[in-house]
Amino acid sequence: MKILVAVKEVAALDEDFEIRDDELDVDEDFLLYDLNEWDDFSLEEAMVIKESSDTEVEVVVVSVGPERVDDILRKCLAKGADRAIRVWDDAMEGSDSVTIGRILSAVVEKEKPDMVFAGVQSSDDAAGSTGISLAASLNWPHAAVVAGLEYQPGSNKAKITRELEGGLSQIVEIDCPSVLTIQLGINTPRYASLRGIKQAAAKPVDEISLADLGLSDSDVGVDAALSRVRRMYIPEKGMASMIEGTPAEQAAKLAEIIREFKGE
Amino acid sequence: MLSMVAAHIPLAQPLCISQESRCVMNEAHEITRILFEDFSNWSIYLFYVIGYTAIGIFLYGVYVQIRKYRRGKPDASWGEFFARFVDMFKTMATHRTLKRRDKSAGRAHALIFFGFVLLFIGTATITLEYDILEPLFGITFWYGDFYLWFSLILDLAGVGLIAGLIYMMYRRKWLKLPKLDYARPDREPGDPDYDRSGYRREDWAFLWALILIGFTGFLLEAARLVWLSETATVWDYRWWSPIGALMAHMMMGLGMGAEAAGNFRLGLWWFHGVLALAFIALIPYTKVKHIFTASGSLMFRDPMAGKRLPSVPEDQEDIGIKTITDLTWKQLLNLDACTKCGRCHEACPANAVGAPLSPRDVILSLREFANKSLQSKELPEKAELDVHGKDVGQVFMETLWSCRTCLACVEICPVAVEHVPIIVQMRRKLVDEGNMEPILQKTMQSIHKNGNSMNESKRKRPRWTKELPFTIKDARKEPVDVMWFVGDYASFDPRNQVVTRSFARLMKQAGVDFGLLYEAEMNAGNDVRRVGEEGLYEFLANANISTLEKCDFNSIVTTDPHSFNTIRNEYPDFGGEFEIQHYTTLLKQLFEQGKLKLSKKLDYRVTFHDPCHLGRYNKGYDAPRELIKLLGCELIEMDRNRDNSFCCGAGGGRIWIPDPVGIEKPSENRMREAAEIEELDVFIVSCPKDLTMFEDALKTAGYEGKFVVKELIELVNECVEFDEAEVIDADVVSA
Repeated sequence: MKILVAVKEVAALDEDFEIRDDELDVDEDFLLYDLNEWDDFSLEEAMVIKESSDTEVEVVVVSVGPERVDDILRKCLAKGADRAIRVWDDAMEGSDSVTIGRILSAVVEKEKPDMVFAGVQSSDDAAGSTGISLAASLNWPHAAVVAGLEYQPGSNKAKITRELEGGLSQIVEIDCPSVLTIQLGINTPRYASLRGIKQAAAKPVDEISLADLGLSDSDVGVDAALSRVRRMYIPEKGMASMIEGTPAEQAAKLAEIIREFKGE
Repeated sequence: MLSMVAAHIPLAQPLCISQESRCVMNEAHEITRILFEDFSNWSIYLFYVIGYTAIGIFLYGVYVQIRKYRRGKPDASWGEFFARFVDMFKTMATHRTLKRRDKSAGRAHALIFFGFVLLFIGTATITLEYDILEPLFGITFWYGDFYLWFSLILDLAGVGLIAGLIYMMYRRKWLKLPKLDYARPDREPGDPDYDRSGYRREDWAFLWALILIGFTGFLLEAARLVWLSETATVWDYRWWSPIGALMAHMMMGLGMGAEAAGNFRLGLWWFHGVLALAFIALIPYTKVKHIFTASGSLMFRDPMAGKRLPSVPEDQEDIGIKTITDLTWKQLLNLDACTKCGRCHEACPANAVGAPLSPRDVILSLREFANKSLQSKELPEKAELDVHGKDVGQVFMETLWSCRTCLACVEICPVAVEHVPIIVQMRRKLVDEGNMEPILQKTMQSIHKNGNSMNESKRKRPRWTKELPFTIKDARKEPVDVMWFVGDYASFDPRNQVVTRSFARLMKQAGVDFGLLYEAEMNAGNDVRRVGEEGLYEFLANANISTLEKCDFNSIVTTDPHSFNTIRNEYPDFGGEFEIQHYTTLLKQLFEQGKLKLSKKLDYRVTFHDPCHLGRYNKGYDAPRELIKLLGCELIEMDRNRDNSFCCGAGGGRIWIPDPVGIEKPSENRMREAAEIEELDVFIVSCPKDLTMFEDALKTAGYEGKFVVKELIELVNECVEFDEAEVIDADVVSA
């Protein structure tokens, strides 16, 4: 029994950040990296299954990214994951979520897990599509925004609770293996102590290249991506203004603004 | 204790000494008490059998206890054996720790203790003559004047013993002291370990047993007097045993004759003897063992307990306390030393506000656990030794996280139980297993990432200096005399920044050559360590030590008692030996040296809150008070002051975990106490965290407008004569 957890190293903005000269991203000097918050929950969900199971459950974390990504993988190892895999090739630079889903699906083919968990979305790009495109590449059942999970390792069905808009919940039965994208709050993630992270430094992170996955340069990277960033910028602020004057004057001014917006 | 038994059991022959054999001796020799007088041989043998059985039971119990302690981890407390012994002896002789915050109980205990000790010495003296000196060398001294004085002193000792016991009974029965209520704040009524009534029964059994032994002793003495009222060498000297004589006269007044008294004495003798022997036999199995365990605990006291938490060797894989065998033998001994006096229960700020923690109960839980699992011949499976969890006898996670590591419990414990190191080591295991409140996790991660607990960028740390009209030296780039370690709250919190800038001005005015570490300073780690995140603490301590070591300075000053404590007491374990003082002592020196002068005095009515880390942790009680007096303020102490100061609730990482709503916070409890002082103007603090906690509590407890919370620095700032007049008003407290 094996659960594969796809994790991402996300970037947070330092204060006073600057946009890169090519206007496609934030200057890397101003980025602080950490494990994506959603992934904390999906890893915890896998760990809970592992720890409450009578049968042996292997939890494998996988991430696509350069060497610095090892930091978050070690954090996952410190939290109890059995193995960590990092997939990278310089050619992968510029991949979008669909391409990443394709790369991950190759990892799934290789690892043959019984379940795949991913976060609903990443806190930096917020595309919310990696997990789903992975399921599409695999042609596996999937469920998004999973807020509750009942699953017995080895079972071919899982019962999940999904969060819907408007305060609704939906209980869904899904065939396994499947890809679930996990929502915040499904559990209480554990803490990775610094000693734990230090000790995890001794554990290996398997590095996997394109060739290992049977992919070529043309399958990945900016050219294979179905979408490309054209510009990143900070939108103008100051759209709000204070309406001054007596209540009557304010009301008149407000009515005028409304008429203007209505195009009268 | 042992020779108390031996006194009644002559270890050497002859067993039977008849009165006739002594007739030839002069009268002085006849003024004595003949042991086993008129006993038949078989009854003496029977007594022997009972006596040795009692000793056997006692010794087996001692063996089981020692085996239990030896199942703990090693502890390095054996050093300086003699000094430790002297220290323990002084503590016991003066009853210093027992009299604190409960004088009557301390005095009553002293009566029992010294009564017991005198009776012990008395019986030991009889043994010395009867079983050793006389049979071996023919030396006797227990007669005549010596015997008479001996009788008098032991009679008085017996009175003391009984008086002390009666007070203890009165106290338990009628005083209804909350600290003697063993019901647990961390369990619900109905839980099997909720009310601990077993302890109450044991307490009463102990008191009754001892008082019965004492009382029957007197009765026995009286019966013997009546029985031998015809013997001049006994009867004529009866008033040397005043209590016995008094009771003898009462018996005779009630019509008891010599023969009846003889029979009565015989029955009573057996009752008294067997009870006393049973008492001795049961010592290792009951609370009576505190005679030994409390002495041992006092002897192995660590004066740095809690102030310097134990480091974890680098090659040690496991961390913290997971199983009962993870405690050291000394900690296991600590558990048995506890007499449930309740002083820690009463002093604990968490318990005071109804949090699910009483330091007493943590100790008792672990003790019961140890007694259950470590006294059996075979050590149980490891899984059964886990002290964490929700089962009966296990310690709850919520209990451990409720602790504010204020040291109130360690400080007041009369028998040197060291609760806080145990609690923190148990937390270390929780942290290791990842069991930590999400909000605290975020803080720990922020401290790791940014070096501060405020989730702010490193670059922002020195930003408070920008509003100063002068530049503070960068101690990384040039040598300074005094290195100022600012700390997180003083650096980042807007309200505290006002104070921080005031202190900068005071140092500048006094001409102190000082500097900062600027962006390179990191959280000192004191509270991180007390959370139990030892790995992060090691990281912070090493980072700060390596930064500090690269700088050229003579000493460190800080306004933060938390940083002060860890740099002073804990950095040396990591190779960082620095001279450090809290600002209160530095300001005091600057006034004494005339470097700071007062331009005016204050007529405020004030009270002072001792920060845990300055007061209890580092005994810095006096400097702030001297400063307050110097400023002309009228200082009114709160009831809980100095060593009994009441924690603001922020310690041990609790400042990062919101207290539950709906129940009183420790800081609000403190505000309530301060508000009892009539016409209070200022509640003075000398710790950045205190300023944050108490300004908040002043509002939430509803005392806003009645008095204000101020840092001592702010009051000093009000009074000091500055060279540049405009500086004084530059930073008006707006909070």
